Amino acid sequence: MRISPQISELVLTALKTSDDAEQQALVQLTTGRRVNVASDDPAAAALEVNLSSQMNNCDQFLRSISSISSELQTADSSLNSAVAPLQRAISLGVEGANGTLSQPDRATLAQEVRGISQQMLNVANLSYNGTYVFAGTANSQPPYVLDPTVPGGVRYQGNNGINEVEVEDGQTVAVNQPGSQLFSAAGANVFVALDDLATALENPGSTTGDIGDATNEVRVAYDQLNSARSFYGNTINQLTSSQDFLNSEKLQLSSQQNSTVGVDITTAAANLSSAEAARDATVQAAASLNNISLMDYLSPLQTP
Amino acid sequence: MGGLVGSMWIALNALQAQEAGLQTATNNIANLNTPGYSRQRPVLEQADPVLDGNIVLGGGVELEGIESLRSNLLDLQISEETQQQGNSQAFVNAMQQVQTLFPDDTTGIGQQISAFFQSLNSLSTDPSNLTLRQGVLTSAGDMASAFNNAAGQLTGVRQQLDNDVQQQVQEVNQLTQQIASINVKLAEFSSTGQDYGSFLDERSQLIQQLSGIIDLSQINDGTSLTLTTRQGTPLVVDAQAYTLSTALDTDGVQHIYSSQGEDITAKISGGQLGGMLQVRDQAVPSLQSQLDSLAGGMVQALNTAHQLGTDLNGNPGGDLFTPVTGQGAAADMAVAFTDPQLLAASSDGSSGSNGNLANLSAVANQAVSKGMTPAAAYANVVFQAGMAISNGNTELNASNAMLQQLQQQRSSISGVSLDEEASSLLLYQRAYQAAAEAISTVNQMLQEAMTMGGGA
Repeated sequence: MRISPQISELVLTALKTSDDAEQQALVQLTTGRRVNVASDDPAAAALEVNLSSQMNNCDQFLRSISSISSELQTADSSLNSAVAPLQRAISLGVEGANGTLSQPDRATLAQEVRGISQQMLNVANLSYNGTYVFAGTANSQPPYVLDPTVPGGVRYQGNNGINEVEVEDGQTVAVNQPGSQLFSAAGANVFVALDDLATALENPGSTTGDIGDATNEVRVAYDQLNSARSFYGNTINQLTSSQDFLNSEKLQLSSQQNSTVGVDITTAAANLSSAEAARDATVQAAASLNNISLMDYLSPLQTP
Repeated sequence: MGGLVGSMWIALNALQAQEAGLQTATNNIANLNTPGYSRQRPVLEQADPVLDGNIVLGGGVELEGIESLRSNLLDLQISEETQQQGNSQAFVNAMQQVQTLFPDDTTGIGQQISAFFQSLNSLSTDPSNLTLRQGVLTSAGDMASAFNNAAGQLTGVRQQLDNDVQQQVQEVNQLTQQIASINVKLAEFSSTGQDYGSFLDERSQLIQQLSGIIDLSQINDGTSLTLTTRQGTPLVVDAQAYTLSTALDTDGVQHIYSSQGEDITAKISGGQLGGMLQVRDQAVPSLQSQLDSLAGGMVQALNTAHQLGTDLNGNPGGDLFTPVTGQGAAADMAVAFTDPQLLAASSDGSSGSNGNLANLSAVANQAVSKGMTPAAAYANVVFQAGMAISNGNTELNASNAMLQQLQQQRSSISGVSLDEEASSLLLYQRAYQAAAEAISTVNQMLQEAMTMGGGA
């Protein structure tokens, strides 16, 4: 068979092939990615759209958690500060129910109880970043206002709304407890109870039984507040575990992303050096081929 | 005719034959790098023998002509593979441009969709916060722009291809005219029975060029040639070239018409023209319609969710995006308002409620386009664009390899080898020298014979 005398095309194609391979290995090594455009691996590229969206979601959830956490912690520590005064009010009530106490002594106790009520009002009207924490979702104004026409003299103008925030894919947590669950629950209203206790202490006609009943009212309100405020502690714990989950999820997604579109450095490096070797070999072969020609051996043609 | 004078004639013919050999070798060397050139060689035959009494004497050599070495079958195969290669090449080139419109970075639609839903999550932590509300509107605007850009650039790609198609059609017309005019010359030459290899080479070269542009079917019986598209639209019949034309159609792109005025746009299946039309009329419109469906689906779902809520002023939510559906939805997607207070985040009417944001976020998991969630629908667009190129590349590589092999085969038959020509030069030179020597010997002998007669 006659061999094709035109090798330049072959050489060029061989060079182009090894150049392409070299280029691809270089791009993979410099970007650290096996899939740099969708056509490199369409299925992997499509999967990456979801993976990177999930990764970004994890980051967003973590940001949201940290921004709601600080509000939750403020609310929690603020409610915590309400515990001691209420306990104090209960012991004041117990003290006031002692039959040996004079009316002026009871009046002093009543004054302290009214002071505690004022403290409770401050806690209940806690604001954070311009919104009122215990107002439900009607949080643009203070939830509790003084109003002599209602029992206890303090009226709740918030609502029962609860906001939920998504903190993991498809999983939400409630991020507020309305005041109506904490301070002014039906039958366990802190302000009504404290007002009743103070009134009983102030009223000279009160029996020790009346004062004891009023003290019990405060105890019930205290129990309600105490159990309702555990919501904040629980939520904070839940967020901490969500944070852990999200961080490990991110790690897993990133390793999945790496195995989907990332490059195996060893393979890419090996590809690069073999492409370089192929290129060198082609160039050398081409160079030596061009050196040989019958023309060189004929010239000069001489007449005998 | 025997004798010395006969020998003289034989030697003279030999001189001419070797000269012709030298000339073809020189011509071959001269055309070493001429594309499409088929090497030539002299056709030498023994001349009719001479009868001298009972003895048959050789009549010397006779130059029958010059022949070109080519394989019509290979030329045909190359032409067919060239159509395939041109098709794949044009398709891949155009689609690579398209693929860059769907990057996996912050400028891409995918990440903008995800960023929009993330901004909703941000706002849910503090629903009355105006900065976070503005953040949602900005993200929504960015997402809409990403759709607008991709849609706009897809249209740009189509327009670019539309221009290219017009140019390619003009090139087809030029080539068919050139081929027809060569056919005229070929007809003249073939009537003289002389060599017309160089015209065949040129014509074959032009046919290869034409194959790179459009799908071809050829009927070639030596000199007469009929070129049509695969679907039978005539392009060249002997000396007649049939001109294709383009005209803007109602669908906004150039359609291609045969010389009889038939719309053959959808019938062109090969060559660069075929590849371009495939991208212009199928691949890009398919991606456009998927983007439109995704954009329209998201706009509708988000608007529905938004209307369930209440804005910061206590009014019911309106449209979040300007309502768009169907064709052009991606290009026209836009946020309906700029005032962050109008964002309907509340579900209970109070300013601090974030309840309706959950309804908006839920769209991320709703089937908004062809049964797919927004992220899945976008991933599908990326997949389709990538897959089209990946398949195109596979076809292109196969075509390139095939074409190279065919060209090597062609070259092994028709290519000029310098080594071969060098040895031919040597052979013809030696033969010429020998024939000249023979003439001079015969000449001496004649002289001697005449001297004999003259008695000097």
